[in-house]
Amino acid sequence: MSDAAAKLDATGLFCPEPVFRTKIAIERMQAGNVLTVSADDPAAEEDISRWVTRNGHELLDMSKDGSVITFQIKKVK
Amino acid sequence: MTLVNTSVLTRIGNTPLVGLDSLSGGTTSYHAKLEGHNPFGSVKDRAALWMIRDGEERGILTAGKSIIIEPTSGNTGIALTGIANLLGYKTEIVIPEKASNETKEIIRNLGATIFETSDDLCPKVGPGTDQSVALATSIASSRPDTYYSPNQYANEANFKGHYLGTGPEIWGQTDGMVTHFFTGVGTGGTITGIGKFLKEKNPNVKIIGCQPQKDHLIQGWRNFEESAKPDLFLKREDVVDDWVSVDNDEAFSVVREVFEKDRLLISPSSAAVYACMKKYPIPDGACVVGIFADDGRKFKSVYSSLGVMTDAEFDDALINARHMSDLAY
Repeated sequence: MSDAAAKLDATGLFCPEPVFRTKIAIERMQAGNVLTVSADDPAAEEDISRWVTRNGHELLDMSKDGSVITFQIKKVK
Repeated sequence: MTLVNTSVLTRIGNTPLVGLDSLSGGTTSYHAKLEGHNPFGSVKDRAALWMIRDGEERGILTAGKSIIIEPTSGNTGIALTGIANLLGYKTEIVIPEKASNETKEIIRNLGATIFETSDDLCPKVGPGTDQSVALATSIASSRPDTYYSPNQYANEANFKGHYLGTGPEIWGQTDGMVTHFFTGVGTGGTITGIGKFLKEKNPNVKIIGCQPQKDHLIQGWRNFEESAKPDLFLKREDVVDDWVSVDNDEAFSVVREVFEKDRLLISPSSAAVYACMKKYPIPDGACVVGIFADDGRKFKSVYSSLGVMTDAEFDDALINARHMSDLAY
C-alpha cells in the first residue's frame, strides 16, 4: 500500500486507542498524503476530529455508516 | 534484550536505611530509605513484583501468552519489564513523551514495547500519566484474552507490597522509634501501605505527604490540583496527617547539597522529599524517615539541562557517591 492511500482500521478499539493509532500513522506519512481511518467507538468522532484540527492537519471528510465512522485526513505538515 | 538472572527477584525489598548527617542533630535523627537498592533501581520493584504475583495467583497471567501493559512515568515500567522478562511475560509500557530519554532507553533495552502519549490525545483526562492510563486501559480492554493491565493506580497488591514489606522494614530498622514519615504520592501505594502499617504499630507516628507544585518536574509524583487522586490513594487517604508543598526550585536546589554533605547522588523525587523534611517543623527527639524512591543515576541529562550539575560534575558524583547499588541491568 502506498502512503497516498494509507488506511487504518480502528474498529473494535476503544478510545483513545483510535486517535493514538491515527497519530502514529500520520507521523509515519509524508505531508500531502491522505489517511483513511475507520472506527466504531462513538468517542472517536470527537477525539479524532479534534486531534486532527489541533495538530494542523485537514479533515477532508467524515461519514457514518451504521456505527462505523470513516475519516479522511490529509497530513498538512 | 538484556538478560538477567531470576535470582535477582530475591533481592527485591530489604533496602538500607541510612542516616542523613546533614539534617540530624542533637537528639533528632533523619534517615533515608534507599529504594534505589532494589535490583531494577527503584521502589517500584516492590509494586511490580506484588502485582505480577497477584495476577498469577488469580489465574489472569499465563507465561508465554499474556502481555502486561501498564501506564507509567518510568520506574514502574523498568520494574515491570525487568521482572516480567524473568517470569516469561511480554510487556508494553505506555509512557508520557516528556519522560526522560534515559528511562525510555532502559525500558526498551529490557525488552518492552513503548507507546508514548502526548497531552493532546484524550480531552476527557488530565495531562501526563493520565493520558497514558487512558491509552493502556483502552488497549487492554479491547483485547482482554491477551492483555493484563496491573493498573498500579488501583491495584491492592501495590498497597500490600508496602503494608507487608516496606512498612515492617522501617519499623524494624528504627527499632520502633520512627516518629515522622515523609514520602511523595504517585499511586498512593507507598504512603498508604507504609502509613497504615506504622499507624497500627504506633498511632502517634506522623504520616506526611509531599505535594509538588503544578506543572512540576518530579517524575512519578502527582499534584492533586491538576491530576485526580488515584483510587488506591482514596481508599486510605485518611492515613495522611499533614501535607507539605515543594516547588521545583526547592527540590532541585538540594541535589548538590545532599551530595556535598551526605555523599548521596539522589533523584529529583528524593530531593523533593529531602526538601520537605528539611523545612517541616520537627520536635527534638524525633526519628524522621523519608523515602528516596530511586538514586540519581538516570538524571544526568535532567540535571545538566536544569543547571543542577554539569556533565563532568555528575560523572564525578557518580564515582564518589556512597550507597550506589549494583543494578540487575
